[in-house]
Amino acid sequence: MAVSFEVNYRFDPQTCRHYLNDFSTVLHCHHFITLYTQLADDATHFEGERMLKEAAEDTFYEVLQDYYQKHQLTQLSDQISIAEQYWQMVGMGKLQFMEIGKYTVCAEMLHSHVDQGWLIKWGLATKPINFITEGFIAAVAALVNARPPKSYGVKALKALAQGENKSLFRATLK
Amino acid sequence: MAINRQIIIEQMSKIHVRGNHEGIIPAFNVFIQQLPTDFWNGFARRIINNVSEDLIEVAEALLVNAAHECGYHTGYGIINSPEWKTIITPMIEQVPRDTLYGAFALVTAWGWANTEIVELVPQEKMVIHAYNYYESDVIRYGKAQGPCAYMIQGICAAFMDLVYGSQPYPNGMGTFVCQQTKGIEIGDEYGEFVVTRALKI
Repeated sequence: MAVSFEVNYRFDPQTCRHYLNDFSTVLHCHHFITLYTQLADDATHFEGERMLKEAAEDTFYEVLQDYYQKHQLTQLSDQISIAEQYWQMVGMGKLQFMEIGKYTVCAEMLHSHVDQGWLIKWGLATKPINFITEGFIAAVAALVNARPPKSYGVKALKALAQGENKSLFRATLK
Repeated sequence: MAINRQIIIEQMSKIHVRGNHEGIIPAFNVFIQQLPTDFWNGFARRIINNVSEDLIEVAEALLVNAAHECGYHTGYGIINSPEWKTIITPMIEQVPRDTLYGAFALVTAWGWANTEIVELVPQEKMVIHAYNYYESDVIRYGKAQGPCAYMIQGICAAFMDLVYGSQPYPNGMGTFVCQQTKGIEIGDEYGEFVVTRALKI
């Protein structure tokens, strides 16, 4: 039976901060995330897309690594299941890893906060725009292969935001 | 019964959200997500750190604008939500002034920032103090070279737009602007945000 993601919520009345499994978290909406995504996409001259991916990869690498260590998760299937459950729980969509290897990691999304938010706000995208999930997948690919962050490059091959029936991502070892 | 900030914080901070079977959180007429604050700070700092000096103000304005739009649309959803009507509406005596006081109590409850209104001139000006906010986490020692609470700047202006905008929602955005005059990240005890009418061009 797959392991269940354990959630420990805490609100600190002194600082008025929320913590999810000891990480300070905040609620934001699809307007905020799609505007950040658009900003990253527009900022080609200072590599905004790469920065958004790396911000995601660095953050979620730390979050998942902390969880795996605290719960002593060493089985690949458990690590993948927790990553999928985490992404679903925080509202980022339904992500499913299809292929895990040392050189290639593939995942798909049938529902996506970023893509669905983009469609509502801007309409059809001309290219994949879910850079945040790309960063998340890069983090997972590195963690489950016991490698440091920035070990994998991730490319979206299909995107819900483009009107496709699912998003498809492929991470490859650099 | 006037706005009771403490009760709002206590009640609204207990609302926990999680993705449905599709991993989506539809709430307050928007989709929401709950990500680590370090992610948002990480992207904002990367952007500011990588633009040339002459583009920093432009990049900052874009970050503020993202929060302004978010605050305007999500704020509208919030003040029309069942949760708002249950907990906050019964406390509202002076419309629309109390809506703003309630909204900033909610901002605090949601972990955006521990904020309160310290001055309000209806339809003209609002001053907010923020005693704890995640955007100040970018500094671990010493001071930042400038204030960088872009998200708070955006939502402060957005909430004034919602309550005192030149036109009702969804056409009143941009009536107000916000300037950050103090910041924890630059060594002040609290952040200070002054909202005034935008200059007409």
